[in-house]
Amino acid sequence: MTVAVLPARRAQVLRRVPRVAGVLGALAGTALLVGALPWLSGADPARSVLRARDVEGTPDAAALEAVRTQLDLPANPVAGTLGFLGRLLTGDLGTSWVSRTPVADSVLPALGVSLTVAGTASVVALLLAGLLTVPALLRAADGRLRGGGLGAAVGGALAALPEFVLAVLLVAVLAVGWGLLPTSGFTGPENLVLPVLALGLPAAGVLTRLLAGAVAATAGESWVRTWRAAGVRRSAVATALGRRAVTVVVPQVLLLLVGTLGAAAVVEAAFDIPGLGGIALGAALSQDVPVVQAAVVLLVTIGLVVGGGGVLAHRLLLGPALAASGFTPEATAAGRRPQRAAAAVAAVLLVAVVAGVLRDPAAQDVALRLASPSWAHPFGNDPLGRDVLARFGHGALLSVGLAVLLAALALVIGLAVGLLGRGDRSGPADVLNALPAVVVGIVVAAVTGPGLAAACVAVTLVGWIPLAVHTRTLAAEARASGFHVAAVAGGAGRWHVLRRHLLPVVGPAVVRHALVRIPHASLALAGLSFLGLGAGAESPEWGRALAETTGYLERAPWVVGAPALGLVLLGVVAALADPAPER
Amino acid sequence: MNRRAALLAVPVLFTGGCFAGGGGADEAGSDRLRVALGFPPVAALSPWTDDALLLTRMGAAETLVTFDDSGAAEPQLAESWQFTDDRTALLELRDDVVFHDGTPMDAEAVAGSLNAAAGADPALRVLRDVGLVATAVDEDTVQLQAAQADPLLVQRLGAPSLVILSPEAYADPTAPDPVGHGTGPFEITAVQGAQSATLDAAADHWAGDPAAAGVDVRFVDDADARTSSLRAGELDVAQGVPIAQLTTLTDDQRVVTTSLPRLTSLQLNTAGGVFADPAVRAAAVAAVDVDPVVDGVFEGQADPAPGLLTDDTLGSAVRTTPTLPAAGDPAGASIRLATYDDRPELPEAAAVIAEQLRAAGFTVEVVVQTYATIEPDLLAGSFDAFLGSRLTLLDTGDPVGYLATDYACDGGYNLARLCDPAVDAAVAAAAALTDPRERRQAAADVEAQVLSAAAVVPVLFEQSRTGVGAGVQGVGDDPFERQVVTVAISPGR
Repeated sequence: MTVAVLPARRAQVLRRVPRVAGVLGALAGTALLVGALPWLSGADPARSVLRARDVEGTPDAAALEAVRTQLDLPANPVAGTLGFLGRLLTGDLGTSWVSRTPVADSVLPALGVSLTVAGTASVVALLLAGLLTVPALLRAADGRLRGGGLGAAVGGALAALPEFVLAVLLVAVLAVGWGLLPTSGFTGPENLVLPVLALGLPAAGVLTRLLAGAVAATAGESWVRTWRAAGVRRSAVATALGRRAVTVVVPQVLLLLVGTLGAAAVVEAAFDIPGLGGIALGAALSQDVPVVQAAVVLLVTIGLVVGGGGVLAHRLLLGPALAASGFTPEATAAGRRPQRAAAAVAAVLLVAVVAGVLRDPAAQDVALRLASPSWAHPFGNDPLGRDVLARFGHGALLSVGLAVLLAALALVIGLAVGLLGRGDRSGPADVLNALPAVVVGIVVAAVTGPGLAAACVAVTLVGWIPLAVHTRTLAAEARASGFHVAAVAGGAGRWHVLRRHLLPVVGPAVVRHALVRIPHASLALAGLSFLGLGAGAESPEWGRALAETTGYLERAPWVVGAPALGLVLLGVVAALADPAPER
Repeated sequence: MNRRAALLAVPVLFTGGCFAGGGGADEAGSDRLRVALGFPPVAALSPWTDDALLLTRMGAAETLVTFDDSGAAEPQLAESWQFTDDRTALLELRDDVVFHDGTPMDAEAVAGSLNAAAGADPALRVLRDVGLVATAVDEDTVQLQAAQADPLLVQRLGAPSLVILSPEAYADPTAPDPVGHGTGPFEITAVQGAQSATLDAAADHWAGDPAAAGVDVRFVDDADARTSSLRAGELDVAQGVPIAQLTTLTDDQRVVTTSLPRLTSLQLNTAGGVFADPAVRAAAVAAVDVDPVVDGVFEGQADPAPGLLTDDTLGSAVRTTPTLPAAGDPAGASIRLATYDDRPELPEAAAVIAEQLRAAGFTVEVVVQTYATIEPDLLAGSFDAFLGSRLTLLDTGDPVGYLATDYACDGGYNLARLCDPAVDAAVAAAAALTDPRERRQAAADVEAQVLSAAAVVPVLFEQSRTGVGAGVQGVGDDPFERQVVTVAISPGR
């Protein structure tokens, strides 16, 4: 017996070898990429380190040479990275170039903090999205659901809220205004509430939209009619529907968790939280390579583990149905009412934009700094006395155009990767998702130079990931359905199956997902502007305008309100404009 | 069942919580002061980095001398001094100073502290190429000697990086440890990473008993977060309140304002591009009107710059009116104007100035990045103009050093790329002067030469704004931003 078992086990082990090699390769690759930052950007790390330690110092040749001697900088990225990986094997994360203290002392506690914040935010986002979906579930159990319902609109609006504006708003109202919670710091659970809300609310918006879509799709499946006809209790039907819908969202929540770990620098700064995002940002800017390498290797490891966990959780939730051709997904028709609502909201937006385009967005009048709305300036004036309505209108074309373009790019890549990839495990998507946005931004800026196109590349590099994972999740269900099994058994070609059986089921849901992320693209662009990526400094682009004026939220809410409202309305329009599925 | 348990376990993982150690922020005693400083420590509070400023701001460590408003040395830990020749000075120390660890501050300890700093690697900015050697002459007298003639020998002792720590602090000769080793009114008892520090009143401070029982310092990078904390009553003192937030403060808070020798100026690239032509530079200088920047963007919370140096710095020295070259016609010439967003007012000021230049006939593109990523391009001379903020009196309270690094041909931060032999000669001559009054007059003359070259447009001098709770007394207000927590500070509760 043992003779027969051994080769099987060996084959199993052998099959794992490339997988392990892939994981190690990904870790070494990202470490090398980060290790090469100074060489990619062409900026002398000695100067960056000197500047980080000595803000007003003169970076002359002698000072730089002194830093260089002290740091013992590696001769090339490969040598440096090999040294780092070698030390890593012995459990040593190295020594920071800037602070000259062990990297582990700063990065590990920060990782703990970030795990707490991102983990709680993910759970809260999931719970909130679940609550918002309950009405839709009940209607679906009664067979009365058409389209995504109200959840879709609320989800679209929440998803468009910029985290950094939300953070300032929450502090101003809940902490300073009502004194309910501490404004900043991270010394106890009460410090967790506001940052978790700032991170969790927009995330809950996306999840709500996905849940609403999933409920609507599942509600059309034949078993629901059968159960209702058989007199199964409403709560039982709703529970079964809810469970199916959650399966789609769980991998997204895990993606969110990992993505937030290293990329929440702005929210961390607003609440003074000593998290990994802030450390990664500071270290990447001062080219403190050992710190960035340690942070990235930790994040990528977590990303791969959690990404694998997402696939596993999806399988666990679906249970035996995945293996037994138990699914009967059906394409569902979009509801009429949402589309009418979308048209109405779009009309409001359009009127404001047209009114703005007719005005001059560049005329400054410092005397009108932050002037409140008046007949002459219906939306008020910005810090330089420029007309906010004019900037709103002129920014619209660029903002909406770019956001739609980026979302479309993400959609195409996401669908392609999700459908064509052998997507039953974590892969490059999980690696990219784990990288802090600033690292991606700096690498892109180093390779392409600053500009709008570079910013688009950086945003697209990570924008497709949630869509690909969503596609992968839905495709796994579709592949387990009777018609797919039948088509494959009937000898249908790969392309035929893809086009006739997978895309019609997967496509509409993923398109809805891409739509709800449209405003997000604009904010992601704005988040890179400090690196010189994105629209020019004086551009009225909405994301940029928001990032520049958030500090005035309390003094002059109209300055922040116009672009924020623009993004929220855009989110609502996109969320309600359901794609009509193929018949 | 297992599956459900596994799924439920996920949230439980996070509720375990992972919080940073408390900074002693709880109300241990109402006489403790809660302070937020900007700029978290970069190197574990080592005095040989920028963290030195944090040590003096927290009232934990002190230098031998301080500066008056003009930047001239005043006694602190040293009582008096005299030059014995042009490279040697004798310092008389106060005899009532005790380190926080109980050792008295004698000449041996001071000489040891200075010699350790002189041996720091990389060399300290303030001691580079000085070759400082300190020797204890007797119990209270220290002899300082530089390798060559050094008019600034005593002025250098005012640099925060030359705070005096007890011999115990230098156990690790590469990283002095200030915890429990300073001489200030407050003793550091604990440091929580880059987040916070706890200080208790020192028992035997030479200037008397501190008014507060202790200080809980938080290092908060984000200025808006500091201000919100102050407004919510979580803090007594918040350093660096942004101009945009001033109007949000209520009657429970006020702001202590001090004029700083920190110059915001528009540097014109004299070496390449459009501004290589002095006539075009003169057109740009004439086009800039600083009033909308000072009154609008800075909301009056700044002083219009009379030149590169403040009136306080120049004292009795006489300014010569610069003579600009004849202004030419820009004729739509394209320029790139760079600035950074680390100081929130700069991008707005740049937009105002860009509009003024456009009105004068330039075509302007504004570039805004974070300072860390824009500096390499600045040093490489990639922009035609640069709006930036710069301390004109740095470590030594002496303006000649600033003129040398920023406007001499081989200066390390010569962003205007000015290379004028006459300026170089004038800077070198000024640097050799020993008499403080003559040095300042020479500095005023160099300033006039630089301005006459139309290499730079001085815009304004900034002010520091420290937000304090209603009852707080005795917050530091020196123009070098070195003192926030003082021996006299009290929460007033």
